[in-house]
Amino acid sequence: MATIRRGDGGLALPWARLSRAAATRRQKAFLLVLPAVALLLLFFILPYLYLLYISVMTQSHNAKYITRFTLANYAQTIGDLFIWRVIFHTLRLGVITTVIALVLSYPLAYHLARASSVMKGLLMMLVLTPLLVGVVIRTYSWMILLSDTGLINSLLTSWGVQPAHLMYNDTGVTIGLVHIYIPFMVLSLAGPLQGIDPDIERAARSLGAGAWQAFWRVTWPLSLPGVVSGSVLVFVLAISSYVIPSLLGGFTVITVPLLAIRTITELFNWPLGSALTIVFFALTVVIVWLFLRLMSRAMKGAA
Amino acid sequence: MTAISLRSVVKQFGDVTAVDHLDLDLAEGELIAFLGPSGCGKTTTLRMIAGFEMPTAGQIWLGEEDVTWLSAEKRNCGMVFQNYALFPHLTVYRNIAFGLEMRRVPRNEIARRVRSVLEKVQLHGLEERYPRQLSGGQQQRTALARALVINPNVLLLDEPLANLDAKLREEMRFYIRTLQQEFGITTIYVTHDQSEALVLADRVAVMMGGMLQQIGTPEDLYRRPETAKVADFVGLVNLIPVRMKERCGAAIACESTLGPLEGRGPDGPGAEAEGWLSVRPENLHLSGTDGAAASGTDGTVNQMRGVVRERAYLGSLIDYRVEVGPALTLRIQGGAEAPYHAGDAVAVGFASADAWFVPSEEG
Ligand SMILES: Nc1ncnc2c1ncn2[C@@H]1O[C@H](COP(=O)(O)OP(=O)(O)OP(=O)(O)O)[C@@H](O)[C@H]1O
Ligand SMILES: [Mg+2]
Repeated sequence: MATIRRGDGGLALPWARLSRAAATRRQKAFLLVLPAVALLLLFFILPYLYLLYISVMTQSHNAKYITRFTLANYAQTIGDLFIWRVIFHTLRLGVITTVIALVLSYPLAYHLARASSVMKGLLMMLVLTPLLVGVVIRTYSWMILLSDTGLINSLLTSWGVQPAHLMYNDTGVTIGLVHIYIPFMVLSLAGPLQGIDPDIERAARSLGAGAWQAFWRVTWPLSLPGVVSGSVLVFVLAISSYVIPSLLGGFTVITVPLLAIRTITELFNWPLGSALTIVFFALTVVIVWLFLRLMSRAMKGAA
Repeated sequence: MTAISLRSVVKQFGDVTAVDHLDLDLAEGELIAFLGPSGCGKTTTLRMIAGFEMPTAGQIWLGEEDVTWLSAEKRNCGMVFQNYALFPHLTVYRNIAFGLEMRRVPRNEIARRVRSVLEKVQLHGLEERYPRQLSGGQQQRTALARALVINPNVLLLDEPLANLDAKLREEMRFYIRTLQQEFGITTIYVTHDQSEALVLADRVAVMMGGMLQQIGTPEDLYRRPETAKVADFVGLVNLIPVRMKERCGAAIACESTLGPLEGRGPDGPGAEAEGWLSVRPENLHLSGTDGAAASGTDGTVNQMRGVVRERAYLGSLIDYRVEVGPALTLRIQGGAEAPYHAGDAVAVGFASADAWFVPSEEG
């Protein structure tokens, strides 16, 4: 018996040493991801938590808020028809921007994916250069082009055509949003498109598919992962954009970010602005989640 | 009847001439192998026949129809790609059904035909798998089934076995041949593996640098190559530089640095023609130098002496390199029963029927 017990102890010792080693290794691994976790916490989670906190506080006239719990801000947000109209309008702008960006980007991304390496570099540069100029500057250049006395309208008038209102309305905002966010769509699409072997399209053709059929039955479904990620990216960026709708919309186009900031800076109602932001955030998460669910069903088998 | 006819087909990519005045006729039900080194234009030729590339000049006929400018989907060519090009988002069943769906074949008819072809390629039970869930051989057979189910006029195979391991490749060769004969389908089989081409094909077309070098039966190609390049590309060969002295029908007598040699030759080149005698390693016989004639067979008229420089044991054979003259080393493959070693003096002999005259290029 004693021998066995001693044997046990002898066996247990290396195990203990091993697990202790494993534990320190795990600790070290944790230390390695710590900066990333901290960054995430600092930049993404904490601000939202703070907003969430303010949104359940009571409005004050001489401070940001009074520390007294209330759900009144949510009640006010959800009960306000005007706010719902703004939310709907923002989502609609987001969808339209996404669809236009997708339609414009797809052929570009397709050619980018199929181009020779020299052309690829050149096209990639062209797609990326707009990102090197700040949003504000690019938006101002759109104002030069689109305003009632801008370049496009002076050309139209000089040809004797009625000038068109291209700015301070949804048209101008949409143009601006599409332009700013198109590179994100192109980049999202180019990867999956490049992953499609050209022989797969040829195979479809040799099996009797016309150019369009080959596209819809083969290329399009195989590119869906890029379509999904690009669309989500552009949609989320578009509905949260502040600079473009404020400059090109001239405060006649009101979106959720504009409304939230005005609620806070002009009405000094921090809790209400925060509640609006949180509601819109939740709504966005639900919409994106539904979209991803829907698309993942369509993509079954692809990728 | 001619099933495929290429008439002086040229394809240029910028400055590169990928295919240069190619003329070729395939009979109904024939299997032709395109054999040639990498970059010689095999794939390009196949793509032009399938309709993925348009020729720069020349015509392509399928049966009675000039299809030179017809788009791929109207040609009814079954194509198997080197990497199979299966649709990754569709199951095996849907992959195979694709061509029939494009032809608007009724659903129950599709089911029947897919099932029958699945049976033929031994893939039943795998219908609902996606391509990534298949082994290389199964993907290969799916690609074959997908091409065959549409009853194509011609079957085009671009190095269909290149991605399989050696053993599977061996099996699939015979399998493809059987299937091709069962369907009686005119087939072009692209490969750069000469043994594959010789085993499979009714005729082999050797391409080099975009040009057709020689076309003929495997035996023609192996025993009667028209150029040194072809002789060198198809199997192993010894080329002995010679000058033709006289000829009598196909029999020729030559002189060389090794002394007078006898062989066979094609029509055309006459006395004084420069060239080579091509002799395959397995047709050269080794014997000791102790007086007895090499192998002693009647046809062994050509005799020479040499020294074994290297030997390699290949299992059923031994591969020798024997120096027979200044700057002339012959490769000889012989049975393992009478082994010689490096440094041994040996006699080398070959029958005149096993030596084929290849004229030098300048003519
Ligand atoms: N799209 C193209 N653009 C430019 N050159 C091309 C193109 N396709 C083929 N070529 C050139 O044409 C020549 C023939 O190419 P091809 O693909 O037909 O060769 P291959 O015989 O199939 O070779 P491999 O055995 O390596 O597949 C090559 O020199 C190749 O570089
Ligand atoms: Mg090739």
